[in-house]
Amino acid sequence: MTSFALAWRTAACYRMRSLLAMAGVAIIGALLFDMLLLSRGLVESFADLLNSSGFDVRVVAQEGLPVLRAPIGEAGRLASDLRRLPEVDDVTLVRIEQAVLTGATGETTRVSIIGSTRSSVRSAWTLLKGSDLPDAATPSADPCPLIVGRHLAEARAIAPGATLTIRISATRQPTALPAVACRVLGIGDFAFGNATEFAVATTMSALAAADTMRPGDEADLVLVRSRSQAGGRAAARAIARVRPDLHAYSNEEIVAEFNQNGFAYFRQVSIVLSSVTLVFTFLLVGTLLTVSTNQRLGQIAALRALGIGRLRIAAMLPWESTVLVGAGALLALPLGGLLAWRLDRLLREMPGLPERLHFFVFNSGAVVEHALLLAATAVVAAGYPIWLASRLPIADTLRREVVG
Amino acid sequence: MTFASDPNGMRAARFRIAGIYEPTPDPMRFTAARMEARMHLPDVIALTADPRDPAAAEAVDAINIRFVDPADRAAFQSDLRARAPGLAATPTARAPEHDPFAVLDRFHVAISVVTVLGGTAFLLALMIIRAEERREMIGLLRLIGISRRSLLAAVLLEGFFIAVIGAIVGIAIALAGERMVNMIFQRRYDTALVFVRVTPSVALRSVAVAVPLGIAAGAAASWSVLRRGILSLIHR
Repeated sequence: MTSFALAWRTAACYRMRSLLAMAGVAIIGALLFDMLLLSRGLVESFADLLNSSGFDVRVVAQEGLPVLRAPIGEAGRLASDLRRLPEVDDVTLVRIEQAVLTGATGETTRVSIIGSTRSSVRSAWTLLKGSDLPDAATPSADPCPLIVGRHLAEARAIAPGATLTIRISATRQPTALPAVACRVLGIGDFAFGNATEFAVATTMSALAAADTMRPGDEADLVLVRSRSQAGGRAAARAIARVRPDLHAYSNEEIVAEFNQNGFAYFRQVSIVLSSVTLVFTFLLVGTLLTVSTNQRLGQIAALRALGIGRLRIAAMLPWESTVLVGAGALLALPLGGLLAWRLDRLLREMPGLPERLHFFVFNSGAVVEHALLLAATAVVAAGYPIWLASRLPIADTLRREVVG
Repeated sequence: MTFASDPNGMRAARFRIAGIYEPTPDPMRFTAARMEARMHLPDVIALTADPRDPAAAEAVDAINIRFVDPADRAAFQSDLRARAPGLAATPTARAPEHDPFAVLDRFHVAISVVTVLGGTAFLLALMIIRAEERREMIGLLRLIGISRRSLLAAVLLEGFFIAVIGAIVGIAIALAGERMVNMIFQRRYDTALVFVRVTPSVALRSVAVAVPLGIAAGAAASWSVLRRGILSLIHR
């Protein structure tokens, strides 16, 4: 009989304890799997979110991220200068203001209003209903076309074709700007929008016309798409060369910066909890195997007396550990997926987070890492029981366990 | 020390350092390198105000207000909106629905629940092995006339003591972990922020969960042996 068959028979013989041990490994393994997903999930999700906009360089006026509010003057000229760079394929100017939406009965709602020089800045929003904003190059009869965010549209029952009265909030100015009537062209889902924020988007010219407190040619953010042969980093360096007063960051640099600072908490939680769960699994499987081996010393001595070699007996225990941990680890994957879904929902309730950002993102690397870590734990946990079983004096043990 | 609000170093002003301070720990900014200096408001205004803007010398970012009667807050907010368009009065305390730490708290509770569930499964498995080990002894005790109820009470008592000792050891490990985690993270981020704190309420909550679980696991595992007949227990 092989070592694996012996281990399998032991697991089958002590069914209840084996099932409970597998359940324990499955639950702890699910937590370990989730922590491995968490260690990279947020960064991968954030990188996906940035890349989905179709622009790989962001130009801002001040060092450090996230900085969006320091204005960039003469933005039109800047866009023309950047378009001439051989590393740059496309440039879009973005301006963000706070505004107040006044309803038919006088009730007000605070909204963020985004103005951009390009319609549907690729995936900055996904159009759900109606039509998109007109392109900046196309003359439009509509002085203030709007794309309304899904949350706002649902909360205020807004449909394409509706007219909204919007007044820009003049920050730090003791004044009120006149309200502007804007026509809703479509309803969209904003990539960077969060569940608690109401957002609308319009053209740069419409926003500049509505906000007379700021110079018309001012932007808060410049989005740049690099040429594929140059790449984001090269484009960012080229922009820094021509405009040293501004700060250009490629998507990779932004993700690295956030990974270092913004997401440090979750990375560290993931490291601490992964280590704790591994130690926990090791201690519990190790204790379980040790207690179980101690209980079966008579059996093991009898098997040795029957002629089953020391090596085969010793090999039975890692197999036993592998059966328990392996079955638990397999169960841990779907259980971990379910737990990750629930924990992700819970963490995404955090205020101010983009709705499309996820904390737990499935990746095959985490599955492999999970399997390797648990396999190593199973082998290490079997160490002491192997030592116990292989040093067992046959005659003494039989006398003590059977005759005694 | 010379400060200038202009990146080119124009309109610089020299200041004498009166003291060095530890910034108030801020959990929202603990990963940021906080390059800060504090000075009197007139000095900040003189350093940063735009000379072309006559109103700049009168401008501030925020005004902190304490009410004689906190119930007046809503009336004040509405009054301010009417009198000074563009200004907004917001409470300094964060509403629970806007508190990221309330979400983190729920996340930690969820992780704890999962850990307790995993631990309970292992505990049950160990207790079953332990109960099996004592099967013959329980048979002998039953043979000499000790009732099932007395044996169950003994098992419950044993489970209680083991759970209490386990919980105390767990709290001791948590206290040691608290010191270690705080030391590592405070050094790593150069902050006085306390990252882990084992409070009496946390310790009590752990005991309140661990003790009933320990007793229940012991009782459940032992019952599988106690309910058997005496002859079966002594292999006859």
